[in-house]
Amino acid sequence: MTHAADHSPVLERARPETAKPREPRIGFEGAMMTPGLILLAALSIVPFLALIAMSFSHVRLLGGVSLDLVGLRNWARFFTDADMWMSWLRTIVYFVLTVGLEMVLGVAVALCLYRVLRGRNLLLGLLLLPMFVAPSIVGLLGRYLTDSTFGLYAWVLRSVGYSGDILGSPISAFAAVVFMDVWEWTPLIALITLAGLSSVPQSVREAAAVDGAPGWMTLRYIVFPAISNVLLVALLIRSMDAIRYFDIIWVTTNGGPADATKIVPVRLYETAFRFFDLGYAAAIGLAMLAFSIFIARTFVRLLDVRGLTR
Amino acid sequence: MDRNPLGPSRRDVLRGALAAGAAVTLSGCGAQADAPHVVTVDQWRQFKGATLNFISENTAPTAAIAANTRPFTDLTGITINIVTLELTALVQRVALDLASGHAQYQVIYADPYQVLAPYQRGLVDLRTMQADPNLPHLPGGIADFIPAQMDAAGRFVDPNAYYTLPYDAPTMIWQYRRDLFDKYHDRMANDLGFDPTPSGERTWDEYYRIANWFNKHAGSDVKYGTGHQARQHDSLMNDFSNVLWSYGGAYFDNGKEVGRIGSRDPGPCRLDSDAAIAGAEFYQKLLAIADPASTTWDWDGVGAAFRAGRLAMCPNWHEFAASNEQVMPGKTGYSPLPRGPVATANMYGGTGVGISGNTRPHERGAAWLFIVWATSPQTQLANLKSKAGGGTPTRTSVYELPEVRAAEKRPSPMPNMLTAAAVRQAWEPDKIGLRPKIPMWNECNTAIFTQLSRMLTGGATPPDAMRTIKARVDQIVARGWVA
Repeated sequence: MTHAADHSPVLERARPETAKPREPRIGFEGAMMTPGLILLAALSIVPFLALIAMSFSHVRLLGGVSLDLVGLRNWARFFTDADMWMSWLRTIVYFVLTVGLEMVLGVAVALCLYRVLRGRNLLLGLLLLPMFVAPSIVGLLGRYLTDSTFGLYAWVLRSVGYSGDILGSPISAFAAVVFMDVWEWTPLIALITLAGLSSVPQSVREAAAVDGAPGWMTLRYIVFPAISNVLLVALLIRSMDAIRYFDIIWVTTNGGPADATKIVPVRLYETAFRFFDLGYAAAIGLAMLAFSIFIARTFVRLLDVRGLTR
Repeated sequence: MDRNPLGPSRRDVLRGALAAGAAVTLSGCGAQADAPHVVTVDQWRQFKGATLNFISENTAPTAAIAANTRPFTDLTGITINIVTLELTALVQRVALDLASGHAQYQVIYADPYQVLAPYQRGLVDLRTMQADPNLPHLPGGIADFIPAQMDAAGRFVDPNAYYTLPYDAPTMIWQYRRDLFDKYHDRMANDLGFDPTPSGERTWDEYYRIANWFNKHAGSDVKYGTGHQARQHDSLMNDFSNVLWSYGGAYFDNGKEVGRIGSRDPGPCRLDSDAAIAGAEFYQKLLAIADPASTTWDWDGVGAAFRAGRLAMCPNWHEFAASNEQVMPGKTGYSPLPRGPVATANMYGGTGVGISGNTRPHERGAAWLFIVWATSPQTQLANLKSKAGGGTPTRTSVYELPEVRAAEKRPSPMPNMLTAAAVRQAWEPDKIGLRPKIPMWNECNTAIFTQLSRMLTGGATPPDAMRTIKARVDQIVARGWVA
């Protein structure tokens, strides 16, 4: 398609005979996208480039921010820091536990809820409540509920013979922060799964029932294949969130006891905003970004295989 | 489309609007106006109409001042806005404000270890303000401030310069249930073979035995003999340091000086010494009989447990006296912390107020008026009486006032003064506990309390924990500090 302007006699006259019509360097679409791209650059690309520069520098604060280049020192420290590797290990364990439990419980809750015919909306409303609480408030609630002086959960556990302090020992503290996250975000998985379940054709389910398929076979061969795409999207959403988990741990355990709950985001925060070692923090932040992109790409590729990204 | 060829096009209007917006934004980001100044014979009124921002930790004296800033505004005509934050958040804001090159916060609550030592170059040397003939001088001069506090909170490296004025003075002391000690005194004395009455003459070993006695014999009155602020937090380092120093351990060579004046290069860490390891072994033993929830408590946690009647005694900051007296009037006693085999140490956690180096000349003058007023004897006395705060005076003259002296005894209108006898001893130069004042303290502190937490949760033995701390602190110090 050509524009009418291209055939304007004025333009024809101005052009040398042999020259081809010049394509505008930035087309109409480009011009329309420019403000958005400038905004994106200001919000993402410039900070990203600054972050890369910081990771090769020592950042001075006093007298205005300035960078002293230190070469690969921050990166060398990152790869040789034993505490950092322990934090990565904890992050992965934490990631697998929270996302895994949330998926299993979320699907189970959704399946149960799907069978409820009366009062489903009321139950769903109650079930979704934790999701609307800010994570830092979940942390505070968790801290109070597990407090050994007056905490309800501490009291319940004492009555069944557990004498320790929940947030006082490494294993129980880790388990506690995992459960707090699971409590908050399982409803989201349940909600997404419930939406997926609604799309499973009733006629197929009835056909399976008529053929005498037991419940688990219906789940295995009809329900799960039908909702697997929805589950994959839920997994992607929760995974992205779980990688940057911070609030609950900061409020409840501060990364302790004995660093048992110090996952990478907590260490990043500490390095950047407590020690103000912004160069090293930039290196940690970029590594976290790479990890997030890896996880996201993995899930997106899976969705791509199923043709869901088109 | 019909368009007026002489008028501005839509594109021109858009360009003009963008340019105007950018100009307004840039002018907003750029020059910051100085505070107004009027020529007057009254030095206190010369910055009338100025507005100051004071950033502070949410502490008792600031709560008292924030509840009534009217006297300062009436005196100077200056409006003061107070932002109170938790200490970690305060340190972040101050660091970023100093980096910005502009003083959004002209007056800074400068914790000696987290603000003064790392960012001393961003604070004004207050000698220049005190020497300025156009500004009012400090009532009583700096000599009126308790000397150990003036050094610890106000100075860094240069023993003559001072960057802050001592503003509050929380100090760790022994807080105990006086009613229970009275009730069980004779039985305890008989069983233990010494007078259990808390005082600076008791030893940490005796403290341990008293706590153990309460655990075994006073279950109907109190659940545990002792509780501690042993969460993986700054509080754990504070609690442990009292024991460490009393056993003769030290974080660095010349530890007293590194604590009092500070250092940029403190040398190698000495936590691998036999004395330090002995202190760590005792601390682990003590925590083994303490309330198990101790490993989840910071100072607020242990304070709440003590007030809830769960503990017979605990080491905690003396400014908790006000809330103790509110909940358990007349039931609490205060004494300096026990001594160890080598010394007595009572951790000092006081802070000063300073002026941002990014301030403009008149702002700086106005900020000086505020810090002189906020640390003046009259204001410290008013803080002591305040229902909103409590206050912990930092001036010798305030402790000498007759009404303050009278308040040291019950019934006291100034409950924090019930601790005066204990803190007066704790602030003696050989008894005050001063952690290292080094720029990289925040990171060293984290290494210390993390390893201590490992030790208390069974992840490391005391010698291992001390040696690991030494290795990490040496690494951090070797990296140095560039602000």
